[in-house]
Amino acid sequence: MNDAMVQHLIGLSSDMAIMSLLALSAYLLLLVGRVSFGQQAFFGLGAYASGILSAMFHAPLLLALGFGMMFGALCSWLLAMPTMTLSGLHYAVATLAFGEMARIVLSGWQWQVSSPDGPVGPAGIEGFRDIRWLLEHDITPAHFLGLTLAILALVLVVLMRTERTRLGVALRMTGQDDTLAATQGIDVSQVRLFAAAVAGALAALGGGLYAHRTTYIEPALFDPMLGVHAVGYALLGGLGTALGPLVGVMFDLGLLDATHLFSGWRMVVFGGLLALFLRWRPRGLLDEQLVHWLSQTLKWKVRA
Amino acid sequence: MLEIQELATAYGKIEALKGVSLSAKAGQVTCLLGPNGAGKSTLMLTLAGILKPQRGSVKFEGEELVGRAPAQIVARGLALVPENRLVFPALTVRENLMAGAYKRRDMAGIRSDIDAMFVRFPRLKERIEQLAGTLSGGEQQMLAVARALMSRPRLLLMDEPSVGLAPMVVAEIFSIIRQLHQEGVSLFIVEQNAHMALKVAQHFYLMEQGRVSFSGSPGQMADDDLIQRAYLGQQRPQTVES
Amino acid sequence: MTDLLQLVVDGLIDGGAYALIGLGLSLTFGSLRRLNLAYGATAMLAAYLGAWLYATQQAPAWLVAVTVIVAATLIGWYVERLCFACTTQDATQARGAPVAGADGREVVALASSFAIWMQLEQLAVNLLPRHLNAFPSLAVSQDWQLGELMVRPDRMGLAVMAAALTLGLAAWLERSRIGLSWRASADHRIAAHLVGMPVERLQTVGFAAACALSGLAAFSILSLDGQVTPMFGMWALLKGLVAAMLGGLGSVRGVLWGGLLLGLVESLAQASFGAQGREFASYALLFVVLVAPWRRSRERFLATAVPG
Repeated sequence: MNDAMVQHLIGLSSDMAIMSLLALSAYLLLLVGRVSFGQQAFFGLGAYASGILSAMFHAPLLLALGFGMMFGALCSWLLAMPTMTLSGLHYAVATLAFGEMARIVLSGWQWQVSSPDGPVGPAGIEGFRDIRWLLEHDITPAHFLGLTLAILALVLVVLMRTERTRLGVALRMTGQDDTLAATQGIDVSQVRLFAAAVAGALAALGGGLYAHRTTYIEPALFDPMLGVHAVGYALLGGLGTALGPLVGVMFDLGLLDATHLFSGWRMVVFGGLLALFLRWRPRGLLDEQLVHWLSQTLKWKVRA
Repeated sequence: MLEIQELATAYGKIEALKGVSLSAKAGQVTCLLGPNGAGKSTLMLTLAGILKPQRGSVKFEGEELVGRAPAQIVARGLALVPENRLVFPALTVRENLMAGAYKRRDMAGIRSDIDAMFVRFPRLKERIEQLAGTLSGGEQQMLAVARALMSRPRLLLMDEPSVGLAPMVVAEIFSIIRQLHQEGVSLFIVEQNAHMALKVAQHFYLMEQGRVSFSGSPGQMADDDLIQRAYLGQQRPQTVES
Repeated sequence: MTDLLQLVVDGLIDGGAYALIGLGLSLTFGSLRRLNLAYGATAMLAAYLGAWLYATQQAPAWLVAVTVIVAATLIGWYVERLCFACTTQDATQARGAPVAGADGREVVALASSFAIWMQLEQLAVNLLPRHLNAFPSLAVSQDWQLGELMVRPDRMGLAVMAAALTLGLAAWLERSRIGLSWRASADHRIAAHLVGMPVERLQTVGFAAACALSGLAAFSILSLDGQVTPMFGMWALLKGLVAAMLGGLGSVRGVLWGGLLLGLVESLAQASFGAQGREFASYALLFVVLVAPWRRSRERFLATAVPG
């Protein structure tokens, strides 16, 4: 494998890891029974927030990412307050509307500080250039991939551990039947608000990483299709485990895009497959039943 | 008129009807009694064609109904007044009645039938342009019956017509059932309220756990100890033998 | 004052286009109680097929119109079969029990059509890869003078057509036998079965007819622009969605008022805040209408009045 291929693979893996964070953000909301078409907004807001901190205030990367996450969580929580009590359909449309509003605001917002190389900062529709923290600190793409994978792994561990806790059960119960969950004493609104905040943080984290990887972001990137893809990855990969959305991402970006299989027809294949899945396997590939069966089988194998 | 043989319907893996056989004679009021969960509503929905049975046959005036779409079953002269009424909530009372007559094309006949319904159910006439979703339970039940009658059925199926209604309203419903019987409409009723049913029905079946466990006249029902105790809440006076 | 009146008139006329594109979406929701997210992409692919015909065969405008409408109908049939036809017999609904709480099915209902959205959009772009694609132009560039106001006759014609179509359709749905059966099937599926209505056929035909309308809307709107771009799909979905939701999803007359309101708000917003302000205002309006407290109580009424 030559150097160019390795570089390409590194880049692809970074992209997949970043998209996985966005897909996990959609997944978390799907767990509590909400379809959000607005996660791309938090991805974008996180990208901008992290970029601002690192490029304009020279904050260290992790701090910038952390700030982005908090900002994303806050915005998501604020959005969730009036919208969580809406019906599923109205909620989805409200998040879509919000996503577009956020994108339009970013298209019009300008804030720049001067630097030796010229003005740096969001320039409205032109986007936000020169988020060069990685380059300035000699972080190679391979290092960045390592960082991204470490972050993703941490997120996965936290999510998967939470599955076994009362919180995790409460999340799933809310998604399965919120009326029933309420009768069991679960505060459905609180659970959903919490899920929204965490989802916002995850999306923003992905956005922050994205901004630093590509060094340039613009509002047009954060359009509804991005959010729709995120939901699609989670639904296809499966809602039974936090690994599900990763499967969805790997299928699209890894298999279809990278191998140029069905080149030019990638979305036709992905969309068609997703529609079929939703008909016969509405909880995705790694749905709760399969995950349960797998964990039972593995336990049995370990015992034997 | 209606011959049901070994009818079995399942919800996924759960068999709600385990092989039900019964018949309803023309011009008669036949009543199916039984506790909750016995499968009575499942039977009605199967007869109406909403649910598909796994096996068995339903013959209505000699013609097989199993496998037919609900629309065809209505066209053959069977109409169901379902449990929980199931009126069209966003349509007016008048539109609900028009909907009931969907299979008919004779506009003049439909219009005169609607007028007749309002004579039979004066309370509905007061609410003719009101949305059915805003009617009271009793009014919705009358509307459901009227709607079913709009198709001029030869056999009227009624699933728990008295459930959830005040006693006065229940009495009204049952007097309507008696009226219909006198007018020659055949009725097959599912009921939990055995007392009221005893006053109108000529033949009884008892269904328990997906099977028919008793078939007989009101007199035979009254004679049966078990039924007395379980469904009529009465103890037979002790005889010398026992 | 004249300026304000001009803005209002311009806004209302633009609103006609929004109502027209929203009509099909509102109808599909009215019938299925589910949002067809592939709606915009359906109209776009149909429009692209028309544009392709125009570009390669120099087809006359009327033929392009027919193609777009027929294509939209067929694509709509495909979408319906794949996404919306799979409603299984729900015995709990038959027993009259309300669907308790939001459950996994709501997610699926919402999601299946966006998968097809992705599909259709790519198919369109594959057909005509360029950004700008010519579309037969029926535009009339000369303004009419009505007193102090300037009005584009072609756009006004579109608005009038939108109003006539919407109001006419609403009246027909209320008075005809088929209209009654369509409304009844949408209101309560099981009850509709019980009175002998062909519920599945009504659903399929209704959906296809709504998509045919989307084709008509797409042709009418694009013929005034003389071109079609890949942004059309998203535009059609979002504008149609806002117009339909403002007027109440499922209400045919509502989509007319919603479209007009949207056009009006956008026109005023543009005059005050520019093009970006215009776009922002439309989504803000939608958002406000969605989260407003009175809607909550209306939803609650609808939730109780419409079982299942």
